[in-house]
Amino acid sequence: MQRRQLLRSAAAFSAATVLSAPAIAQTPKKISFLTWNLVHLEAQIKGWIGGFTASRPGVEVEWIDKKGPEVPVYYATQLAAGTPPDVIDIQGALGLEYAAQGALADLTPRFAADAAIKGRYDQDYLANWVFEGKNYMVPYYVSKTLLFWNKTRFKEAGLDKPPANFDEILAAADKIKGGDKTGMLTLNFDWLYWPLMMMNGVDLLSKDLKTPTFKTAKAEEVLTRLAAATKSGAINPISWTGRWVEPNEAFATGNVGMLQAHAPAFFWIKGKGPWINGDTLGAAQMPGNWATPNSHGLGISKGSKQPDLAWDFVKYLTDSDVAMQFSRVASVLTGNKTVDKAILAKFEKDDPLAFQVLKTQVEHTDKMCGNWRLGNDSRVKDAFWPEFQSAMLGRKDAKTALADAERRVARELKRA
Amino acid sequence: MTSWYQRKRTRELALVACFLAPALTIFFLYRLLPLGWNVLLSFQSWSPLKAAAWIGVDHYEEMLLDDDVFWDALTNTLIFIGCSPIAIALALAIALLVNSDLRGAAIYRTIVFLSYPLMTVAVGIIWRWLYDERGGFFNYVLRSSGVIDQPVKFLQSFDWALPCVIAADFWQVLGFYMIILLTGLQSIPQHLYEAARVDGVPASARFWRITLPLLRPSIFLCIVVGILNSFTSFDLVYVMTNGGPGHATELLITYIYKVGFGQSRFDYAAALTVVQFLLLVVLTMLANRLAGGNAGSLER
Amino acid sequence: MRRAPSWPRHAIMLVVSFLMLVPFYWVVKTSLTGENIYAYPPHIVPVDPHLFHYVDVWYLIPFPRYLLNSVIVTAMAICGNLLFNTAAGYALTKQFPGRRWVVLLFLSCMLIPFQATIIPAYLITSWLGVLNSYLGTALPLLSTIICIFIFKASFEAVPRSLIDAARVDGLSEWRIIVRIMLPLSKSAIATNVILTFIWSWNAFLWPLIVIRTSEMQTLPLGLARFLSVMEDTTGALFAFVVMVLVPGLTIFLMAQKEFIRGLTTGATKG
Repeated sequence: MQRRQLLRSAAAFSAATVLSAPAIAQTPKKISFLTWNLVHLEAQIKGWIGGFTASRPGVEVEWIDKKGPEVPVYYATQLAAGTPPDVIDIQGALGLEYAAQGALADLTPRFAADAAIKGRYDQDYLANWVFEGKNYMVPYYVSKTLLFWNKTRFKEAGLDKPPANFDEILAAADKIKGGDKTGMLTLNFDWLYWPLMMMNGVDLLSKDLKTPTFKTAKAEEVLTRLAAATKSGAINPISWTGRWVEPNEAFATGNVGMLQAHAPAFFWIKGKGPWINGDTLGAAQMPGNWATPNSHGLGISKGSKQPDLAWDFVKYLTDSDVAMQFSRVASVLTGNKTVDKAILAKFEKDDPLAFQVLKTQVEHTDKMCGNWRLGNDSRVKDAFWPEFQSAMLGRKDAKTALADAERRVARELKRA
Repeated sequence: MTSWYQRKRTRELALVACFLAPALTIFFLYRLLPLGWNVLLSFQSWSPLKAAAWIGVDHYEEMLLDDDVFWDALTNTLIFIGCSPIAIALALAIALLVNSDLRGAAIYRTIVFLSYPLMTVAVGIIWRWLYDERGGFFNYVLRSSGVIDQPVKFLQSFDWALPCVIAADFWQVLGFYMIILLTGLQSIPQHLYEAARVDGVPASARFWRITLPLLRPSIFLCIVVGILNSFTSFDLVYVMTNGGPGHATELLITYIYKVGFGQSRFDYAAALTVVQFLLLVVLTMLANRLAGGNAGSLER
Repeated sequence: MRRAPSWPRHAIMLVVSFLMLVPFYWVVKTSLTGENIYAYPPHIVPVDPHLFHYVDVWYLIPFPRYLLNSVIVTAMAICGNLLFNTAAGYALTKQFPGRRWVVLLFLSCMLIPFQATIIPAYLITSWLGVLNSYLGTALPLLSTIICIFIFKASFEAVPRSLIDAARVDGLSEWRIIVRIMLPLSKSAIATNVILTFIWSWNAFLWPLIVIRTSEMQTLPLGLARFLSVMEDTTGALFAFVVMVLVPGLTIFLMAQKEFIRGLTTGATKG
């Protein structure tokens, strides 16, 4: 009968579709590599993958790139489906969160087996991904914040060198502001603004990461002064409302005196601001040499079906050859000490300004702040940032904002 | 004779079962099972990396006592719903205008309804551009007419972001309300109006005494659509503000998405979903009660 | 009987129409203009109109790929709907024990909004192994309750005599549906097709969750991704928007009546 035939064929069809899907996914010796917004390096990455698979017959590497905000969503869905990417490139503290959740493989034994690998990295940057005494990630490319100062704006205001402390920052910003000019901008995601607090002795948490320590009179004073500066236009409000494009774009117009950002911002701004050269832009450490790192690390998912192959790939990517090419084409430092030294030497010759910027990335790596090893970093950030932002934008006074922030942060720490 | 009938009957039942099976499977898999699973999950602690463990009402406790964002999202969702009567009233006014024997009413109808079948993502992008401080329509009008001299950052203002998103939603949903109300208007018997006119009843009384009561089922439907709409406005918020600034435009549905797929806390997101669903049921029942029970229908 | 003057009503409707159409115009204008779209003041009429933004879209993003994905998923949804809804609608016209419960079940499923199901729906789909596939994207949309009831109503309106005559002639049930009932339910079919088309074509949240690679993305996802990839929006984004809206608008304008009828019937049914 026609009906039965129809149903039978429909059943067969759906069965075939459902069953064939997982079958297709089972290719032997295949790993997937998730990168964070590196689509502009497509040709090079495909080249490096080609170099890896050429010397390893039967191996395939699937490359997936996602924009920054899409990576956590993607990773979560892959974890839930039981197919997490084998090698992942993660920015900042998110790596720690995955480690805390148990999503990443512990790399300490691998380091122990191969001491040379561990030794080739800057230990301060490497330490960013140590959670509860274990290594979880390997530096892929590193950066931390620095102070960019617009020499032209400074000269106009009668200043000839970058500020040496918090008071000088605010004073310089105040002098430069006026009309459509503002004195200072900072990036705010991933705790990048924290040096402003740290240079005043305000830290977020106690050493054991269990108690909030930021509700102090000094912090209140700092917040009040920052809020007042924002209101007067000395600090550009985009510092507290923008993410990447807006603040960098604003600085690129040339109407802002200072920018606190990490090195990659320099290369972005240079593309948008034709006025930028060695005479008009200066690069310096923030007062106190405090800086928040914003580095990318490579990790291996615990659910990876090919962990040894994944580790092989990680070693390959961070080895001198590939790392050198990577840092040259992406204009980044890799955290691999020999590679970075060579790259800096090259920049010193070819692009003195870029050299100035990149030099700050490897200096004073012991003064890194804003990088607490929290397993629930994003939740603590979500608890603190809205209050801080409210204070900056004048929606709350500093005292209330700090009190609310302390309450919320304490709750998150309790729940951890 | 009987056995033939029984066999035929069995065959008929088998046929019914077969025919219902595909649709029922889909709904079981994608409506009933998920709802049940959500309820179950909301009482457990589960992650893809750990086995499930029963934790009772912990999630609900966290949600109600510790989660400021939940309350923000809830408030925003309620505001969203609370604004739908405004849209319904506007749609009613337009429906009344278009229902009369106006020349070209069909064209007006089409123009108002044009925005409904659009991809909400596209609507979000269109309105995001309209609100832009540089190339946007609103700032252009306000500045060139001299009302303000600095551009207003609509979607980045803590106070204006939500109303702006709601306005975009109005634009899209107005046509739908209008169509429902038009259908309702057209089913009101004309002789009622004639009789009232003959009796000398003024136009406004005709509206309040005849039109509005007989439109009850349509209005109830619009309210239910409005409630559902606030839950489904994910696309709009995601594209326009992503819940920002801060959490000023965070809706329950966007928060659920962020918690589930951004923080990968599927268990907590399940608890949020259960609360959202209960809210939906309560609001619908409330609307039903206000409309006089029985989905506002006119039969007693 | 004095009729009220019609010009005030026309005036109001013209204002309303203007407000409803401005967003369309503003976007189309931006997609065609040659000026820097961020320069203030924007011009009301496109300056130096050109079609390069549209060309940009074609090259910058895989528009044909997204279009193909959307078309395939929508086609699957429409086929599935026609098949399953017809079958279920027909089954509901018969009397069988438990019929009331099945109807109640369907109606209560309508109360469960999709948003209340996304997370388990994702887990179920992953368990079925169809994540990131056309089938997985179309699966939740393969049947819709409103359309089942539309078919049911339409089938019930078919005169009994026709069906009896066909049975006497020895036609099987499926043949009866195809040969007799469907041809008499053309409007129900049209409504079903159009409603499914709109819901599937515009679907965003579900594809966002289920699709993992950029080759499988549908048009709404492509649009959102374009927005985030080009953080600085360009005229090309708006050309993309226009290109994306054209199919939906065309279908709607061609089949307004069926669409509206489908919405109102379905709406009043439940």
